Order: sequence, then C-alpha cells, then structure tokens
Amino acid sequence: MKTIPPPCPEPDTGPKYWRSLDQLADAPEFRQWLEREFPDGASEFTDPVSRRYFVKIMSASFLLGGLGLTGCRRPVEHILPFSKMPENYTHGVAQFYATAFPTRSSAIPLVVKSHDGRPIKIEGNADHPDSNGATDQFAQASILDLYDPDRAKRFTRDENATTREDAADFLAKISEQAKSNGGQGLRFLLQRSSSPSRSRLQKLISEKFPNAQWHVYEPVDFDIHRQAASLAFGKPVSPYYKLDEANVIVSLDCDFIGGEEDTHIHVRRFAKRRNPEKSAKPMNRLYAVEGLFTLTGANADHRLRVPTSAVQGFAARLALEILRQKASGSGELQNSLSKLAAGFSGNDPWVAECAKDLLAPGNAGKTLIVAGHRQPLAAHLIAWAVNAALGNVGSTVAIHEATDAGGGDLAALVQALNAGQVETLVILGGNPAYDAPSDLKWTEAQAKARTVVRLGYHEDETFPAKGWHLPLTHYLESWGDARTADGTVVPIQPLIEPLSGGITALEVLARVGGLAQTNAYDIVRETFRSLGGEGENAWRKFLHDGFLAGSAAKTAAAQIDLSTVAKFLQTTQPPPAPTKDKLEAVFHRSYSVDDGRFNNNGWLQETPDPITKLTWDNAILISPKTAAELGVGDFDETRKGPRVKKGLFKNQVVEVELNGRKLRGPIWILPGLADNILGLALGYGRKKTGRIGRLPTGAPAGYNAYELRTTAGEHFSIGAKVIPLNEIYDLASTQEHGAMEGRPLIREATKQQYEAHPDFAKNMDLDAPSHVQHILKDPKTGQINSQPPMMYKHPYRVYEEKQQRTGGRLKGPPLKSDLHQWGMSIDLTACVGCSACMVACQSENNVPIVGKDQVTKGREMAWIRLDRYFVGNLYDPQIAYQPMLCQHCENAPCESVCPVNATVHDEEGLNLMVYNRCVGTRFCSNNCPYKVRRFNYFDYSRRPIGPGLYKDPFTSRTDGEWELKRWFKDPDKGSVPPDEWDLGKLVRNPDVTVRMRGVMEKCTFCVQRLEQAKIAQKVKAGASGDVRVPEGTIKTACQQACPAEAIVFGNLADPNSQVSQLKKQQRDYSVLGFLDTRPRTTYLARIRNPNPNMPDPYKDSPAALKEYVEHGNADPMGSHGAGRGGGHDPASASSHKTEKGAH
Amino acid sequence: MSDIFPKWTNQLPAKVLMGGLLVGAATVAGTWYYFTPKYTRVGYQPIQPVSFSHAVHVDQIGLDCRYCHHAVEKSWYSNIPASSTCMNCHNQILKNDPRLALVEQSVQTGRPIAWVQIHKVPDYVYFNHSVHVRRGVSCVECHGQINTMEEVYHAQPLSMSFCLECHRDPASRLRPLEKVTDLNWKWSNDPKTAAQLQKTRGEQFVHDWAIQTSQSCSACHR
Repeated sequence: MKTIPPPCPEPDTGPKYWRSLDQLADAPEFRQWLEREFPDGASEFTDPVSRRYFVKIMSASFLLGGLGLTGCRRPVEHILPFSKMPENYTHGVAQFYATAFPTRSSAIPLVVKSHDGRPIKIEGNADHPDSNGATDQFAQASILDLYDPDRAKRFTRDENATTREDAADFLAKISEQAKSNGGQGLRFLLQRSSSPSRSRLQKLISEKFPNAQWHVYEPVDFDIHRQAASLAFGKPVSPYYKLDEANVIVSLDCDFIGGEEDTHIHVRRFAKRRNPEKSAKPMNRLYAVEGLFTLTGANADHRLRVPTSAVQGFAARLALEILRQKASGSGELQNSLSKLAAGFSGNDPWVAECAKDLLAPGNAGKTLIVAGHRQPLAAHLIAWAVNAALGNVGSTVAIHEATDAGGGDLAALVQALNAGQVETLVILGGNPAYDAPSDLKWTEAQAKARTVVRLGYHEDETFPAKGWHLPLTHYLESWGDARTADGTVVPIQPLIEPLSGGITALEVLARVGGLAQTNAYDIVRETFRSLGGEGENAWRKFLHDGFLAGSAAKTAAAQIDLSTVAKFLQTTQPPPAPTKDKLEAVFHRSYSVDDGRFNNNGWLQETPDPITKLTWDNAILISPKTAAELGVGDFDETRKGPRVKKGLFKNQVVEVELNGRKLRGPIWILPGLADNILGLALGYGRKKTGRIGRLPTGAPAGYNAYELRTTAGEHFSIGAKVIPLNEIYDLASTQEHGAMEGRPLIREATKQQYEAHPDFAKNMDLDAPSHVQHILKDPKTGQINSQPPMMYKHPYRVYEEKQQRTGGRLKGPPLKSDLHQWGMSIDLTACVGCSACMVACQSENNVPIVGKDQVTKGREMAWIRLDRYFVGNLYDPQIAYQPMLCQHCENAPCESVCPVNATVHDEEGLNLMVYNRCVGTRFCSNNCPYKVRRFNYFDYSRRPIGPGLYKDPFTSRTDGEWELKRWFKDPDKGSVPPDEWDLGKLVRNPDVTVRMRGVMEKCTFCVQRLEQAKIAQKVKAGASGDVRVPEGTIKTACQQACPAEAIVFGNLADPNSQVSQLKKQQRDYSVLGFLDTRPRTTYLARIRNPNPNMPDPYKDSPAALKEYVEHGNADPMGSHGAGRGGGHDPASASSHKTEKGAH
Repeated sequence: MSDIFPKWTNQLPAKVLMGGLLVGAATVAGTWYYFTPKYTRVGYQPIQPVSFSHAVHVDQIGLDCRYCHHAVEKSWYSNIPASSTCMNCHNQILKNDPRLALVEQSVQTGRPIAWVQIHKVPDYVYFNHSVHVRRGVSCVECHGQINTMEEVYHAQPLSMSFCLECHRDPASRLRPLEKVTDLNWKWSNDPKTAAQLQKTRGEQFVHDWAIQTSQSCSACHR
C-alpha cells in the first residue's frame, strides 16, 4: 500500500499563515507553545502551597467531613410561593421586554430576556424597521454593568453618605436659586444623547433659566459627521449612510465596521452586498485608506497605509482626480484641493485606479466616500464634495433633518470655571476628570466651581471631593427614550427596580429645573404625547413594539454649497508628514472598553481586541519598520520577529513624549500599521475604577492615553518621540492560543477566480481528488474509486451495517433522528470579525472570565473564538477572520478518547459534554484538532480573578475569616466577596449549568435553546404529530448577535432549510476535513473583490491563496482540480499524477 | 511445628477469604440498596406548615390538579399555589378555621408560606412538566397517588434510571390527554385487560402523536 503523503507539507521558507511575529520567526518558544496542549506551567500546580501541605489540608477536611457527616442527610429546602399571584407571570417562563441601548447619538433597539425578574440576556429587536435584530459587543456586554458590584450605590455630600431625600432637597435649592437670578452661574455638562425627552427638558429649563448654560463633551465624539454635513449643506442636517446601495465604498480612515457609531447597522448593510453569488446587485468593493489597522481595513479589498494626518491629503488628491474628470467644481475649490493634495506624497497609480473605479459608468450614483470621526472637518467636506460630484447624495447617503443640540464645549466651560463664573456645576454622566484633554487641567478647574453636583455610574476620577455625588441608574433600570440612526423613536423601559437605588438623568434635570414632573416615567410619557402618541393604546404599542412607527427623520431638501466647502478648505493647511523622530500619535476608541466607559466590564476586558488579540491591556502599537528604525520592541529584522527573552508575552516598555507630556506603556509591533505612527487605544489606565479595571497588583489595566491628548490634537498629533526603557511588561494576548499550523483553514479567492472556478474551495481539501489521485486507484483492479479508502468507518455507516446484519433488531435508541439534524454554516465572506458573537456566547452560556494572569497561561474559557490570520507581506498584510467553535464532528475524535463517556453524541448530531461524568483527564482537548475545548482549572465562576484565585483552605481572608471555615459554613458560595457574589450570580442564565472546576466544557450549539424550542413545538403539536421544529424558530446566541448574518444554524434533516441550502454551495468546506471528522459546522470560503487594475500585490489572487500554492499544494484554480466528485477517466488521472510529481 | 499452628488454622485462609467476600458483597449490596434514591428518597414525608390534605381536596371535593398547579401546562415548573389561591374558596368555607390561620396571615402580610420541598431533581437536571403532562404522562407516574395522600410523601425514586425506564418504553405509561390529571383512572378494572389496552392504545398513541422520547444526555442535561 502506498503511503498517504503528510497532510500538510512543511514549507521551506518559513510559515505563511502566521498569527504572530513569533510564529513567523519560528521562535523556539513558539514551537514549544504549539507542541504543548497548554502552555508551560498551565497544567502544573503553581500554588505557593506545596504538594505536601495540600495533602495535609486534604486529610484535615476529610476528618471534618467525617465528623459532620452533613452529606448523608437530605437538607430541608423550602418553597416560597407568592402570597398573592402577580398578573401575567408564570414562574419558569422567561419574559421579554422591548427597550433600547442608548449610544452617543443613537441607540440600539433591543429585546431583553428577563428570568424571574432579572434581566439575563440582551438581543436586538428585529421588528424595528432599521434593524435585523443584531447588536454590537458593547450592547451585549452592557448587561454585566447592571450587576457591577463596584457601581456607585450611595448619595454623598463632601464624600459623606447622605440620603436620596437630602439630595432631592438640595437639587430643589439649586432650582430656587436659579429662579431668582435666571440661572446665572448655573452650568450643565452633558454627554451626547439622542433622547427626545432630554432635549425637551433642556428646552424647558432654558426657557425658565435663560442664563443657565449647557456644555457637551464626549472624548470620542461622532458629532463631526453632523457638523460637516451641516456646514456643507448650509443647514442642520445629518448623514444617513446606506452602504447596501453602494457598489464601491471608499473609507477615509472611517472604521464604520468597528469604531464608529451604529456599527451593527453598517456591518449589516455592508455584508448584505458582500455576496459573491449571482444576484441582482453585484458584490461591493471596499477601499480603505488609513493609518491604524482597523476592522474596516481588515475587511477592505484594497487598503492603503498612510499616516492618519495624510488621509486628508489623499482625499484631496482623489477629489481632484474625480472633479477634473467630471469637470465639476470651481477653480477656487480645485486650487484649495491642489494645495491640500500636496500633503499627500504617495501612490498615485492607486489614486488613479480608485478614481477610475468610482467613475465607472455602472457605478454612477452607487458609490460612497466616508470620512471617519478622527479626520478633521476638511476631510469630511472633501468627501461631501466628491459624493456630490458622483451623484451619491440621496442615493447611497441620505440627508436627514437634524437639530443642532447646541451648547458650548468643554474648553469654554473650563474657561468659565477658571474665571470664577460658575456657581453651580451639574455634571450628568461622563468622566471628564479622566478623559478631558490634558491641557484643560479639568480636575483643578472642577474644584473652582462653588458647588458641584455629579451624577455618575461609578465613584470614579470625577467623584467630587467637595460637592454632591448621585448614583446613576443603569438603562435597564430606568425610563427613558432615544432615537436610532434613522431617527425612529425607541423607548427605554426598566426591567428591574434600581439595584442600588440610583436616580435617572431625566429626574435630576427635572429637579434642577424645578419642573412639575420629576418622575422619569411621566417625563417620557409627556414627550411621547408631544411626539404624537396619543392615548393608552398607542403608549402600550410603543412599549410592546419597541419603537414608534413612522417617527423616522425626514429627508432634508438641501443642496451642497461647494463655495462654502472651497472657502473652508482654503483656510486649511496640509499637516507635515510624520517622521521617525516626529511620530504621529493616533488616539483611538478601544474595541474592548470604548472610551473607558466599559473599563470595569469583565466580559469586554477579556474579549480580545480583534486586531491585536490583546486582552486586559492596551499597548503602544507600532509598525515593524518603524520599530526597527527606532530600535524598540527588540525587533530583529533577520528573524522577522521580536527577540523573545522568556515567555511569549514579555514586551518592552517605552516612554512616549508628546509636547512635553509623557506616558509609559508596552510596545506592540503590529504588522500593517502605517509607518511612523503610534496607535494609542483610549479607555485604559483608569486610576479610580472598579475591581475589574485594576490588575491583581492594584495597578490600573493598561496605560492612560488621555495623558497625551490635548484639545489641539484630539485624534492625532504629530511630534511624538519614543524613548526605549529597560523595562519589561507582560501582555496577555490570545493570539497564539490554539494555533493551527498553516493549513488551508481559511480558503480565499478573488471574485474572478471564484467565477472561473466555483469549486476551488473543494479542491483545497486534502482529500480532494487532486491530492489523493494516486491512492484512489485500486492496486488490484486498476479502477479509480470516487472516494479514498478510509481507515475508520463513519459511525453512522457502522450502525447501518449492524442494523442490516441483525435485520433491524438492534436494541437502544436510534443513532440518527429523522426529525432534526443540527448544523451550522459560517460565511467567511460576510464575517467582519467584530466579536459580538463572543460576548453573546459568554452571556448566554455563563462562560466565566479568568483574568489576565490566566489568559497568559492560555486558560481563557471562550467557547467561540475569532481566529485572526495575517497573510502576505509583513509590512502590508491582509487579515482573515474565522470564528472557531466546537465543530460538532459526526466522527468526533474527542469522543473516542474519553475514558468515562463524558462526551458523547446524541441522535440529532450534537456532540454533548456531560459535566457530571467528566473527571478532567483532558484527553478530549488533547485529541481535538480544532482546539475548541476549554478546561476549568479553577472555579472561575466562584473565585475572584485576582490573587484570590489561588486561595487555599488555610488562607485568611481580608475580613479575617479562614477559607476552610467559610467553606464549611457555605460550600456553595465560593470565595468571591459577598457583594460580588450576590450580584454576579444574578446575570447567569438559569437554563445553562454553571460549570465547576475540573470539568471540560465547550460550545453546545446552544442546546438549551434547541431543547426549549423542541419542547414548545411538542406541546403545540398535540395529536397532530407535527413535532419538527419549524425553520427559523431557533437561533443560537452567536447567530442572533451577528450583524453580518454570517452564522446560519438550522436543521440539516430539512433539505429546504437555509443551512442545508448553504451547505450545498460550492464554497462550502470543512476545516481539516481530511481528518474525516465530518464537522457539522462548515464554512463558506471567503471571496474578495479586488480591482483587477489596481497596483496591489494581491489583486489577482488573495495572499492566502498565493501562499497555499507556494506551499507546494496543487493550484485549486488549475485544470486538474476541477474533477472532484464526478467520474474520472483514467487518462486524466494519470495526467494528475505527473503534475503532482512535478511539484 | 504443629504446636504453633493448630489444625483448625488450615481452614483459616479459606474462611477469611469467604468472610471477606461475604462482607464485601454485603457492603456492595447494602450500598446498592440503601444509598439509592429508591431508599433515601421514597417515603420522605415532612410535616408541612399547613395541614393541607390532597385527599380531601382532590378525592372528596374533586378539584382538578390544575386549579392550584396552574402553571404545570405552561412552564417547566409546576407551581405551588399562592396563598391567595387558597383564599378563593376559603374566604367563604372554613372562614375562621385555626388550621387556615397561616394562610390568612400570609395573604394579609404578603409573607409567603414556607412549604417544605419534597420532590426535587438535582440542579443539573432540566425537567419540564409541560411537555410531559401535555403529551399523555399522568401526574401519578412520578408523584404516586397524591389524590389519596393526607400528607404528601415521596412515592417514586425520581432517579435517572426511573426516568429512563419510561423514556425507553413510553407506550406502557401514556394515557389519553383528558385523563392525565385523573389519578384514579385505569384503562379497565380488570388488570389483564388494562395491561392489554395499555399496550395497544399506548403504541397507537406513540405512533399518532409522534412520541420520540430522547434517551440522550441532552434531553435533561444542558
């Protein structure tokens, strides 16, 4: 018998599919990491307590157990029914409420699941006209903030606790004083909000106290989109992007997939047109011009790396090209554009081809240029000029009527404070002491107000030492309203009484204003009435549906005023280009903690950044080239990677100096970043935050990028210097975890390639005919078999044969049900890598967080992870994402090695994990080719993530009690502090087991949802016998959250189900299918849509495919790949063989 | 040497071995029997705070189970009635009876009555009442003849093997839907005919209603 060639030939020139620089460099530490199931030390007992000591303790506890014999008697438990039955409530049946997650200038419509009065899961409201029921990671995780034990719980005055009544009295006093002087010296500092109620109250108060003044501050502000549109159109309007209408999109540093407002809508619209199949509308094409590597850049068909400050120059250059060809725009405009374009010294052919694509006749009015919030007004105005010239206004971008929220900015407020003009300062939300530009010196200014009243969710940096602090309610505890992106009014309704007795912002405003209505409910109802919602029925419908139909913003009738644009551009000067001595520091919103508002949210802290895969920290991002030039990060050009000292995540600390301000942080070399820039994520380094935002040492997680940020350089600033320090910092990255060495895991092709060879993905299977031609031939008969001989038979086949042998008399349940066979299909063309699925899974399945220390040991518990692969050139790579979760193999390798049958199959094709049987051998994880099984090393659900994780029975706790005593009194409690325990367990889903220590766990395909749907259908079916769950009833948590609709789950036993249809596509493939695992989760190959004329190394073939071929694999686009499945004539088979030999 | 080891010691090893085996067998058998739910749970009959008699309410008065346990057809959980449910009748019948003092007090103060839980499956078992009672499984199958109990006791072991027994052979337990809460109901008074009818009608029911009892772990454990 001929030997089967090794499944993946090792390349000669270093791995091509690499996940980190260490892997690329093939560092010995990385080899060791890969070869071990868990990293060094992960499976060892690293407690400071010795093994002998441990045995001593064990015997002591056995003794205690023997004496007490508590385990033998059944504890008496009580059932406490209601004394009076509440209406519309059935214990055990979840309730759902429509509400909304308010964002800065928009909102995400939601349906929140409540179990026995506690909200436990957030899902999008698919009934809303501008939603497909998707959310983003922040909305998903916001439920954890509700149960944050560190949130502000008390009303304080000068740091002393006081009562709600006292606070209300004081607010009334402010109101009275303002009445006497018309609000002289009364200033409000607000966050952005889309709430109609708030703007109504603002108006009422302004009428009452004409001298009172409003200020608005957001550290990451998206209002520039409205400002630019209003300036360009000469009246207050805001843009509404319709990405699903655009054939070609050019992003000018606009991270609409991850970093802007309403990403869930943009992703949905973008992914809708990301369809390579033949449909009415062609697949879209995305050009991204950016400095940082953003999610939008990762999903772009063409990405141009330029410093953030040069994007404006690029925009001018592109505009010139287009205006010239369109012969529009005045000479004045062209002159000012030429001046700005001089600031862009780069790739002219790129600009020309991009312009040509935009001007293509088929794309008239079907293109879109968007500028990001980091870009100055000039870039936005240029984008508007180009959109207008291309006829996009009204087609791919609508102009909606808007109102100018008005109010001064933070600088004006600081000026007034310093001038002593502020009598009373009311701060509603926000955290200016942490996130205000550092040149404003907010903390000092705030102290100059005579009275400060601050409403805040945490007692954080802004907590006034002198003055009042009021605890803010969570949006799931309060009445409110908001407008979504399209202007539709949505309600915010409470699902639970305020857990810590907080107060809403609306109530504070009403009390300060001395208004008759102070109750938030009354205020919102009054606003609803003013919006045309008359009567009880309309109100009930509003709350039931979760939106007010027909309240969307009106399209504004406005014409762009190019002369204003030209005039504005004339005043703009092109910025200097950054150099290695004068680096450009770019401040960006973190994908994990936003601007710092989610700093104390464990789910988000542990969700890896989609680009760097860092958790629990931010790092100073730098490109490999700049790092080499500066000699930081221990970058070794010859080895193409950092010089690893000990361990994988030891990173050099540097000092960044910008205009005399300094900060320290670890450096992280990020391929694909523009040269001469530093990426500084905001939101970390909080000095006063909760238990999650601090590391076990007590130091804040990450560094505070706001320290470098000034009013002049709010988003980027040129002139930064990097000073390397002789210091090392540990970073926790999930990047290397579970790496699967360079196999064709993600299969990519360009649209053209796909059209010519729709079966290319199948040809990349290692058991595809092209690979196994020589073993398909039967040595005796010389016949060509259609399938290669398999070493093991498929379990279903074995069962069928047994059935036949015994004449169908096999005992036991059927191996395979005819009703349901569950399966999943993930479209890699649609997936953008946003991570919403990860948080949704964590929330639905009670997945614990493990803390930074444990992540560095590779022990994170996420059931679904997003594998990110860099492909191609080190300096200008492509990124490909792949959600990886339990594949539910029909022929599961984990099942055959479990000694205790703890992982078994059910008749519907699920690979089950029986926690009670598991004894923690971890053989299954060792044998899992996808590395999706997670082992609970500690009781992560019951232990604090800090040093308390390693607590043993003889640890004395901070409150003086011994662990052993605590355990004896209450073994169910765990060692977390009482408040953490009480609140933390409320967020758990009662339908899913909370797993304990020593148990393996993994994705279950949301078995609880499957069972509930099956039960509901069975109950409904009755005598009809129609017990098959209808298509569309079940959505897994990840599928539900996915804005791109990339994940489709369903019944494979139903040939008409969506998932069955998708699996019939030619793009469908199994990861590591040659292992004959027969996964139920399959992927649809990723199709890119590059411009064939672009001067781009990847225009003909994606980097991933190029590398696949360079590995010595047969070209899946070659003629010999095409013959899979059908009959092969021996002649073609022999030609295959010769070709194979030639490789 | 015979002085040291008398003759009877010749049989000692065999006796020790036999004795050891016997003790071992007794331990296994004892544990098998006494440490299973069949012994540890069946017969558990705590004293409830209110001396509520199912025998009076169901057998004598003829109340349907679902009058009080109304959620049993909707939820996984069969509710214990709220105190106010009792008062629907007892605000007229036995108005000032001292036995009802606690119930009255509960309604007035809003404090719940602490009933002692009898039937309980472990936390890792997700049992659903609604799908059982609405698909032909009578209350009596798991709870015994509650309708005749003065004080409720644990009648069946409710162990995993108990559940599986029925899931392996549902036809032998199913009954017409309208008879689910009629705990005295039988197919026939003649045990032989009853058994026969149960078999034929039960199989018919399984076929018509497409009863597919799952024996996989996922049916109850999630």
